[in-house]
Amino acid sequence: MNKKKDFQANRVLSYFKAEWVTLAAVTVSGLIYNIGLLAAPWFEGRMAGRLVDILGGSGTFTSMLRLAVCYAAVTALVQGARYIKRFCVRRFANDVNRRMKRILYGSLIRKSRAELEGEGVGSAMTKAIQDVDDCVEGMRKFTTEVFDTGVALFAYAVMLLSYDWRLALLSMLFPPLSFLIAEKMKTVVQRTGAAFKEASAHLNAATLDRAENAVTYRVFGCENERQSAYEKELSGYESAAVKANIWSAVLPPLYRIISMAGTLLIIFFGARNIRGTGWTSWDIAVFTTFLACFTRLAAKSSSAAKLFNAVHKAQVSWRRIKPLMHQAEADEPVPALSAAALTATHAGFAYPGGSNIFADMSLSAQPGQIIGITGPVACGKSTLGRMLLCEYPYQGSLKFGDRELSSLRPAELVGMAGYLGHDPELFNDSIENNILLGDDRDANAYLRAVCLDQEVAAMEDGLQTRVGSGGVRLSGGQAQRLALARTLCHRKPVMILDDPFSALDKQTEAQVFAHLKELCRDSIVLLISHRLYLFPQMDQVIFVDHGQALVSTHAQLLQSNAEYARLFHEQEGGASNEK
Amino acid sequence: MKNKDRVSSVIWQTVRRKKVLSLGIVCAVAGAIAFSLFPPLILGKIIDSLTAGQSVSIGMAGLYFALLALAGLLESLREGGLTLFGQKITHALRSRLMGKMVRLSADTLSHIEPGALVSRFVGDVDAVENLFTSGIVSMFADACKIISILAVVWFQNRGLALILVLLLPFLFWFTRHVQKNMLAAQLDNRRAVSRAAGHVPESLHNIRTIHTLGKEAYMEQRYDDYIEDSYRAMEKTNFYDAIYSPVILILNAVVVAAVMLLSVSGNARVLTLFGMSAGTAVAVINYISQIFTPVESLGMEIQAIQSAVAGVRRINEFLSQSEPAPRKPVSLPASLPAGQPQVELRNVAFGYDDHTVLQSICLQVQAGEQVTLAGRTGAGKSTVFKLLLGLYAPQSGSVLIEGVPAADIADQDRRALFGYVEQRFHQVPGTVRDQITLYDPAISDQAVRTAAKLAGLSDTIESLPQGYDTPCTPELFSQGQWQLLSIARAAAANPRILLLDEITANLDAETENAVLQALRRVSADRTVISISHRTGAQTGRVIPIEPAH
Repeated sequence: MNKKKDFQANRVLSYFKAEWVTLAAVTVSGLIYNIGLLAAPWFEGRMAGRLVDILGGSGTFTSMLRLAVCYAAVTALVQGARYIKRFCVRRFANDVNRRMKRILYGSLIRKSRAELEGEGVGSAMTKAIQDVDDCVEGMRKFTTEVFDTGVALFAYAVMLLSYDWRLALLSMLFPPLSFLIAEKMKTVVQRTGAAFKEASAHLNAATLDRAENAVTYRVFGCENERQSAYEKELSGYESAAVKANIWSAVLPPLYRIISMAGTLLIIFFGARNIRGTGWTSWDIAVFTTFLACFTRLAAKSSSAAKLFNAVHKAQVSWRRIKPLMHQAEADEPVPALSAAALTATHAGFAYPGGSNIFADMSLSAQPGQIIGITGPVACGKSTLGRMLLCEYPYQGSLKFGDRELSSLRPAELVGMAGYLGHDPELFNDSIENNILLGDDRDANAYLRAVCLDQEVAAMEDGLQTRVGSGGVRLSGGQAQRLALARTLCHRKPVMILDDPFSALDKQTEAQVFAHLKELCRDSIVLLISHRLYLFPQMDQVIFVDHGQALVSTHAQLLQSNAEYARLFHEQEGGASNEK
Repeated sequence: MKNKDRVSSVIWQTVRRKKVLSLGIVCAVAGAIAFSLFPPLILGKIIDSLTAGQSVSIGMAGLYFALLALAGLLESLREGGLTLFGQKITHALRSRLMGKMVRLSADTLSHIEPGALVSRFVGDVDAVENLFTSGIVSMFADACKIISILAVVWFQNRGLALILVLLLPFLFWFTRHVQKNMLAAQLDNRRAVSRAAGHVPESLHNIRTIHTLGKEAYMEQRYDDYIEDSYRAMEKTNFYDAIYSPVILILNAVVVAAVMLLSVSGNARVLTLFGMSAGTAVAVINYISQIFTPVESLGMEIQAIQSAVAGVRRINEFLSQSEPAPRKPVSLPASLPAGQPQVELRNVAFGYDDHTVLQSICLQVQAGEQVTLAGRTGAGKSTVFKLLLGLYAPQSGSVLIEGVPAADIADQDRRALFGYVEQRFHQVPGTVRDQITLYDPAISDQAVRTAAKLAGLSDTIESLPQGYDTPCTPELFSQGQWQLLSIARAAAANPRILLLDEITANLDAETENAVLQALRRVSADRTVISISHRTGAQTGRVIPIEPAH
């Protein structure tokens, strides 16, 4: 509603605003936790002081008991607040992360293929989605450190100043000094760190190269040379790693030493305070509290750098993501188009600036017809199929019913044509989900249609078997049939199938073809194939060759076209090879 | 030496080679522990003398700080030494792994998934490095620290030492419990995250299907589900992550409170155990908070060691794979005797494991002849290629190239003999030139240009801003151009025999034509053996390859 309207995907503030409840919880618990942190040193000092009193005979057991119980209770309260704070900060980060990714993915999935491939939009958006993690991590650290470093340091400093402002100022000179040195060293640390990252990316690439191309190198006789090159890569990596890690391992303890130098002053001047010869007058309790407080401040101050780093990192990634953050428009519903004829008049196609793939094709196809498309290798038959999807502009006229294809809206085009290309384009999901893609139907019917039902039933998880990335866990023929089952499940008035049987044996091919015919009674099927066994059963045949697309029937082409006849008979003859 | 190829032997050799470094690390570890024990004791002394109304000498304060500094310095030294040492070991391990890889048979290599191999070389070796930098050594250091703190506390406050001894096992159990659950949740999370991350490139790859089926909303929902899964796993990590420190710190406070109470209980028996001065109290509070940190680290170190153990096991498995006996390379005859076929298979049988692929295969190819191996998928055409390339030795019969068994041909002779156009182009890291030469310095610039010209790619390459020195990225060329580059690579050393595997890339008509023409150009004046599944793409004499059964 209103809230959604206010949300601007390309403004960081919007994300903070949308999470205000969680952030409010973070603020309350964060304040309790960080201010409450002062309680521990205060109580510890008090208890030490009380111990002195009791040993000196002036204190009582009950006063110590009260102190001890309070100490434990306050610690529990403070730590409880800490738990709530950490949990809420993570929740906040998760929510923002998901929201950003959702927006990016939503607009990515709706970009056209040409945009995604040609203009590198696809890889830019993939990178942006990875950037979201960095950006949100930065936002999370920022939210955390504002309290854990900012508020805590402030509270400690106030406490120290209230006990003895002169001593506090003196001793607090050291943590900033250590911070300054750390800042100075940061350039070195970052430089060596970046060099190390690069070296490790190099090594990873070199290792992947050796792994992926092992056989290539062996075949070309370069293996030994590659081994010594890898050895060089290793030496480079080693020196980069040592340089980078030495700094990050050696420096922190040294910074701590510098920060802690303040203790020297505290012990010396603190002792004078106790003896009454210093700036103010202290007892043992105050002395211990002061020392404990300072120790914690020194430790905390080393993480002040973290706050700045986190913000910086988040800014860098946000700047990369920002231009891509647009909420996608809602989808237009796909209309269910009823069956109609497909007519081509003088249709043709040529690559921009290239030769004609084919020209002047005229065709009239009625629902229920199956039209075979073939031709020699590299004749452009696949291109013809994709032309019908309007992926390329065509010449002449192509009509579905009485509407020109180029005038259809994208959603109407989706409603008109189903397509299956060479690549089965399977999803890393279950067999059932790959067929239905969220529709509510019986997947088994389609598995039967493509003669895959028995094989799937024999699999351990049946329909729920996961096919792996790109369908790696299936054989080539299985993947092809699964993709066909998916296409059949989403039947459209025009079905364009590019070589769906290439990995099937002849018998299965014939069976699947019979089912296909049965299932697509109301559709026009354009079947692109380089195998011609089934072409005698086609209603029409388009033969693409030498820039021409001949529309005819199998019987006529066999008589009139020598090239078609040669291809057909060659395969008939070679059939004994390809049972 | 039967164990020479094991992780342990690599480590041991590194220790022996770097004696000074190893000794230095041991000293730094011991020193850091020793010196970190003293500061609280001195602090206790200072407080006690203050309570007694005495002044604190500047020397005392200086000593306190000096000891703190010394402990920090030694810690710094230890970390530095460990970094050096860890890197020495990773280097040695990776060298050893690569040496092994070169000796493996082509069959073994082809069964290893590249991703898995990389995780052996990178992930597992890093885990072994972790074993040193944040595993064994720091575990030893932490264990020593716990014991020495206990010892010191024993002299300061016996009762507290007893409480701690009783408490430590529980504390340790709790730490492990939390860490184990956290690790499990993290693994779940990582799985879910990688599924969600994989969904994006998959969507890009399958974008045509998504669009033509109008499944944008469905895919969005799937993505959301995957993210949701990863968050559910992450909430669990968050829970454990957020609960651990509070519990430890509350426990810390309770112990301190209890000790303070007991120390003023007034009961003589209790006081023999818990009685102490204010100085001791401050020192003791200090020690208590010191003992919780090593316990927590101890848990992390156990985890590092566990994952390193798994890494060590996997590396050892890799190193212990069987390798074929090394073959002595045979050099090729200077010229081919007249009438002798250039390529000959004599009654060859071959199979993988128990599965026979080829049986009594005979074929002869004369110099300059062009032949196509035909047969259905699985008939063994690719296997014949692998035998010709010498990747496998036949089980019986012989595979002779210019009279020499294919598997015995010396590395340096291969390139001038064979050009191999693979099904799929294998891009190597480097420039366009590197793609063609495969880093072979013997191939001159002239030869590179000639090869590119033959492949019909020289104009495209020369129009690039840096020409042949342009660094290669996957976006630099189209799919068809990569195929052309593959042809240039095969032709670069002007080989006598060309082996053409059928190109599987899904090319459009125009590029496919370009590829076919390039193949025709490089094939001129050479012996050409090609594989084709497609009728119509066969050239020259057709040799049918029949399956073994």
